[in-house]
Amino acid sequence: MNKILDARGWACPKPVIETRKALQTDKLLTVIVDNKPARENVSRLATKMNCKFSIDEKNDGIYIHIDCEGSEPIQETIQEEYITCETGKNIVLVVATDTVGKGSDELGGILMRAFMHTFLEVKPSPKTIIFMNNGVKLAIKGSPVLEDLQELSNRGIEILVCGTCTNYFGITDSVAVGIISNAYNIAEAMLNADKVVNL
Amino acid sequence: MIKKNSDYGIVLFETTQSAIKAEKVLIQAEIKIKMIPVPRHISANCGVSIRFDLSIADKIKSILDESNVQYSAIRSLM
Repeated sequence: MNKILDARGWACPKPVIETRKALQTDKLLTVIVDNKPARENVSRLATKMNCKFSIDEKNDGIYIHIDCEGSEPIQETIQEEYITCETGKNIVLVVATDTVGKGSDELGGILMRAFMHTFLEVKPSPKTIIFMNNGVKLAIKGSPVLEDLQELSNRGIEILVCGTCTNYFGITDSVAVGIISNAYNIAEAMLNADKVVNL
Repeated sequence: MIKKNSDYGIVLFETTQSAIKAEKVLIQAEIKIKMIPVPRHISANCGVSIRFDLSIADKIKSILDESNVQYSAIRSLM
């Protein structure tokens, strides 16, 4: 029987901090939360700690079953990056090219790689990243930014890859991160955004 | 296993051209590297640097020296 941590009703960031504490003594833990930021924070913590987890959304709360058996214990104190207490603005990042700006493609490629890495480290995070036209080439196997995109995806950022575009380039089977999407979903994501940032 | 900043080293450059050249020769040598912006705690200047596993710092240095790539420093990411 898993130990249960009932984190319903707790203000952020208490659920994630108490989960962290509880995992120091119990490798198997079920955390019950009642809001999305808490769910994301606890899931992110489990991922960071190399623990397996599964989520059950029930009527009385969100049950996160964490299994840290076999994972290395992490002694570091909790980092700020685990703690997102506001869902924040809905920022959508549109990447319609694999190079940033015009001029030199070589330089533009470096800027793109540097930017994708930087999005992991700065706040606020976009809620969705949309890849279109040449931008879809960033989301395929062998892409120099694939690792960064996978990490962004692990953190709960939605990645939409334009299916028409991957089809045009004949790389649909090589897409390695995100969801292959269509004009409807992409247009909706753009129009529902508080802010659209074009790269 | 999660990597920490202390597991990485970075190469800093005077010019972006040197960074591009360094990336090419290191990729040719099949070294696993990553081009990242120069971290804020190291310099406020705009620039790119090359991140690598600190354990292969000597190898990085010798490859760059052999290929005559100019760099301003090789140091820990910490």
